[in-house]
Amino acid sequence: MNGVSVKEADIAVLPQDNAGSEEKRLGFWLTLPAQCLVLFIAVFPILMQLYISMTDWSPLDGIPWYRAYELWIGFINYTDLASDSRFWAAMWRTFLVMIVCVPIQFLLGLGLAVLFVDEFPGKRWFYSTLLIPMMVVPAVAGYMFFLLFQSGGPVNDLLSLFSASPVKIAWLSDPSLALVAVMAADIWQWTPLMFLILLAGMISVPQDQQMAAVLLGASWGRRFFTIVLPRMKTIIIIALAIRTIEIFKIFDTLYIMTGGGPGVATETISVYIYKVTQQDLIWGYVAAIALAILIVLSVISAIAISRMSKGANAR
Amino acid sequence: MTQIALSNLGKKFGSFTALAQMNLTIGDGEFVALLGPSGCGKSTTMNMIAGMVDPTEGDIRFDDRSILDVPMSRRGVGFVFQNYAIFTHMSVRENLAYGLRAQGVSASERNRRVNAMADLLQLTPMLDRRAAGLSVNILQRLAIGRSAVVEPAIFLLDEPLSNVDAAFRSVMRSELKALQRQFSQTLVYVTHDQLEAMTMADRIAVMDHGKLLQVGTPLEIYNNPQDVFVARFIGSPGMNILEGTIASSDEGKLVDLASAGRSAPLALSDRAASQGLPEKVLFGFRPEQVNPDPNGTMALPVNFVERIGARTILHLGGDGLEAKAVLDNQIAMPSIGDILRFSIDPKMVRLFDPVSGIAIGGDI
Repeated sequence: MNGVSVKEADIAVLPQDNAGSEEKRLGFWLTLPAQCLVLFIAVFPILMQLYISMTDWSPLDGIPWYRAYELWIGFINYTDLASDSRFWAAMWRTFLVMIVCVPIQFLLGLGLAVLFVDEFPGKRWFYSTLLIPMMVVPAVAGYMFFLLFQSGGPVNDLLSLFSASPVKIAWLSDPSLALVAVMAADIWQWTPLMFLILLAGMISVPQDQQMAAVLLGASWGRRFFTIVLPRMKTIIIIALAIRTIEIFKIFDTLYIMTGGGPGVATETISVYIYKVTQQDLIWGYVAAIALAILIVLSVISAIAISRMSKGANAR
Repeated sequence: MTQIALSNLGKKFGSFTALAQMNLTIGDGEFVALLGPSGCGKSTTMNMIAGMVDPTEGDIRFDDRSILDVPMSRRGVGFVFQNYAIFTHMSVRENLAYGLRAQGVSASERNRRVNAMADLLQLTPMLDRRAAGLSVNILQRLAIGRSAVVEPAIFLLDEPLSNVDAAFRSVMRSELKALQRQFSQTLVYVTHDQLEAMTMADRIAVMDHGKLLQVGTPLEIYNNPQDVFVARFIGSPGMNILEGTIASSDEGKLVDLASAGRSAPLALSDRAASQGLPEKVLFGFRPEQVNPDPNGTMALPVNFVERIGARTILHLGGDGLEAKAVLDNQIAMPSIGDILRFSIDPKMVRLFDPVSGIAIGGDI
């Protein structure tokens, strides 16, 4: 590039009042088709759901979905939902799995990250081993835990070692224990992801600030809680948000282990939706449930994002 | 308020020797600058004193007590990092109070000391601001204050002025020196900028390639470099070093500089005279000592004229003999291609051994 063309380029970049807004307008028109497409892809399924949720439509009715207005029932699906005790029980179970699993995964992941942030012999080997659960297909993990928690399975064998008489707990068919087994599977499978995210965050905490803290006389704990953790705030929020949202969607592992049973003892929101969709075939109602969950998840994400931007401002 | 003694200190990273055989005693309350180009081992030395790096050889003593097994949080060393390492997620006050809090100082005492330090460093107006958005100049003062507030016996500064602008740097030079007098702490200052070292330090330790080459007051280092590297490194521009051979004349020994002419008869010290001179020597003189003189015994062509305001730097050279001259603007300036005839005061000539690079006879 010669000197003249550099100058021209500079002038084009300068924020001149008219040229600037003109350029913006041109950019707007040029990207409009693509923007519309993206918007359509993102919004269409939601709008379709909203539409269906106002009807009593089911694929068995013999009319295409866009003619579902013939079965218009207004907000009845939503009022049904509000009084659907099975829905609220599934919501509560999902919430229970979330408040048990996410903190445990977080603490285990954080503890592992603390161990792995420093060098030690065999680190690479341990590191790769720890990440294996994350790579197991959830359906396979479900089958593994299904076997582990059989009444004659390894979990009971292990517990038998510590007790006088052989342990024969029917984990998956006892309504009060089945959810525990499901939580164990989720913790096993998803702690590595938490660990990986938190380790990445911990490594990126500036070394010199940690050194400065130590040189000022800070103990390990003080350094960890006043420098390392606050600086990991953004990544911690991301990790917690990802896991919280994912647990709302917990399905395959659970479905293979218990099928939502015994009875409805492990029926989480996704399993409930699946059953209503595939067994009861009332799709209008399913759409209403799905929208309700979408709203819940949006609120969680919005909280996470606002906390994150606060954290980013503090830096 | 502590004396630091480094004895035979060395550090190897694998097969690479970052520092070897470092012997240096830094007196109580002394301001010592470790000066050298990048990679000379000065930062490694500093990090070993602080405890961030463990030496592979030798010992470090504070007041005759080896501190190698003392963890860095208990060495009582204040450290100012090159990029300041300010805790940007905290306020200025929290930064200043950090060390006091870590040492369990009571809240009232902590407040008193933080406020006093903020006063001293003119940080009071921004005490409750977040450290994140502050300018480099303020961050720098904050970094010093944060270390100083816990009253460490030893202060280590790692190139603290390399990130600030030139105008502020000159202010900080005098301010740092004043602060050090006030705190009367032992202070080790790492820098590659000789101006900082010359203006602030009580003594300068010049290092290169992991070796300590010379320790002395700024004037000793400037006037009597013990080594060709030190001679060239100190001064701006550094000392001219020309290869020459010793010749005899009626008035005594002098140096034959081939096409550049001959030096005036040498004013040899007794020690140099008794030591005897090698046949070949390196002939050193400061560019400021070049004295234009139509009857001078030395002459070199002018290659380039560099005007820097009050003074002008002449680049002289030819036939492998390169030198610079710094002249006042008052005199008639030669132009490019002219031959500059000049003389050097024999007292200002420094001779070095061409093989070892070491100064001949020490003080001449």
